[in-house]
Amino acid sequence: MRKLTGRPGRRQGDETMQPPTRPAPWIARSVSTEFGRRHVKGVAITRLLVGIAAVTLGSIFCASGHWWGALLFVPAALNLWFAYLMPRWKRALDDLKSGPRVRELERSRALVVDDAAARLRRIEQDLHDGAQAQMVAVVMKLGLARDHLGSAVAESGRGDLERVLERALELVDAAHRGAMEAITELRDLAHGIHPPALAEGLGAALAALTARSDFPVELVLDLPERPSAAIEVIAYFCAAELLTNAAKHSGARHVTLETTHHPGLVTLRVSDDGTGGARIEAGRGLAGLADRVKTVDGRMRVASPAGGPTVVTIELPSHA
Amino acid sequence: MRIVIAEDSAVIRAGLAEILADRGHVVVAAVGNAEDLQSAVDEHHPDAAVVDVRMPPGYSDEGIRAAIAIRRDHPGTGVLVFSQYIETRHAANLLGAAAGSGAAGVGYLLKDRVGDVSEFVEALSRVAAGGTALDPEVVTQLLRASRRTDGLGALTAREHDVLALMAEGRSNGAIADTLVISERAVEKHVASIFSKFSLTPSDSDHRRVLAVLRYLGSGPADPLPGHPGSRSP
Repeated sequence: MRKLTGRPGRRQGDETMQPPTRPAPWIARSVSTEFGRRHVKGVAITRLLVGIAAVTLGSIFCASGHWWGALLFVPAALNLWFAYLMPRWKRALDDLKSGPRVRELERSRALVVDDAAARLRRIEQDLHDGAQAQMVAVVMKLGLARDHLGSAVAESGRGDLERVLERALELVDAAHRGAMEAITELRDLAHGIHPPALAEGLGAALAALTARSDFPVELVLDLPERPSAAIEVIAYFCAAELLTNAAKHSGARHVTLETTHHPGLVTLRVSDDGTGGARIEAGRGLAGLADRVKTVDGRMRVASPAGGPTVVTIELPSHA
Repeated sequence: MRIVIAEDSAVIRAGLAEILADRGHVVVAAVGNAEDLQSAVDEHHPDAAVVDVRMPPGYSDEGIRAAIAIRRDHPGTGVLVFSQYIETRHAANLLGAAAGSGAAGVGYLLKDRVGDVSEFVEALSRVAAGGTALDPEVVTQLLRASRRTDGLGALTAREHDVLALMAEGRSNGAIADTLVISERAVEKHVASIFSKFSLTPSDSDHRRVLAVLRYLGSGPADPLPGHPGSRSP
């Protein structure tokens, strides 16, 4: 992880020695910024008051026939000018100072986003190699046991033993069915964490997604090169959510999913000929998508007049 | 049957070996990656190979590529690919390659299907004998994909049902049982499907597979999506 630097009054060398419990540097930064802002405000108000006082005094002296009173207008003008300019200078200076900091936050955020994507992929892989494989092995053994018990029941025909075997068969059969359901659930869970088809790229994953959908989706892909893994994951889940929305709410008969990747920009567009009227409302699916897209500085636009058609466009940077 | 197993998970490998041995088959080799699979098949010339899709080193579609290579180099070895997830393009790749080498002798099943031991072993036998075994889910997805482009104009609903079961690799008798119609009726539908696809009797053995392939081949699964710059209709 990249370290956040820039705590005022601390040398670079000290940074790496700090225990992890120290307050995050941005807290110190925002406190000092807040202090600076108040300080500037105070000075500006003082200058303003001094300026006004000088103008008033100068005017009074001039009015009472003392011509030298006009000399007071010079410091008055200077003070008023300072009062006017100081907040502007301060802001310009802040912008100058925060530029590198914003860039650094962007970099560290990209690392966090990439790291999260990689971690989800690992979890999916662990599920695949671990729990899912174990369950398949269990199901095989139960299947085998069930078959053996079944033929034993058929052959035994001896009162007590047959009853015992039948009971055992029932139990094994129930366990087998339960294990099969568990496998399906595990598969859905793993798929929701990280779609395995993404290993072969966004195009392949979207093709698999549209193949699974219950209604026809026209797929248009133009992905000459792969965006970063985290962006692929976001694009995939956005597409999945938008297709679900189109199916659930719009009553569309025709849905098109278009995905292009041009230098620096991944564009995902889902259009349907449904009833329209989709809006980004707090707490609704589209708002959740918009939030997700924003985490990587992406943008989402919804054009959905009443009566349709609905076009949702999502733009993502190639790299988080 | 003499069988080679390729599966990177040791527990599943052991489980498969156990159920196959239980049903009187001989597992001549059980390996954990595609490379070892190739050499095991080269060495043992098995009747069938059971192959996991995701294997080291890339954990993506190593199994599919190995299966296609085996079908090309060892016509006598049927390949049953099985996978935790169904990916239509994997199925399309496999079927497309199988069509090139005389069709058939391939299967693609979800891993859960091994839980139904008899059905799994039967599917494997079918593949070893040069037939096909497709997971019902694969068939559903493939047919759905091709219906989109065709509008399904050519086939009646019943013929569509029959074709779906044919794609799974079922015999006429099994199709008749499933659809609760007479075997004679199934034959009629099958003949009608063949004629609609202009498959002449000279294609004899593989007509069933060819019918399925021809039907599926018209879907967006071909040309295969997902490759750089590809644009599917």
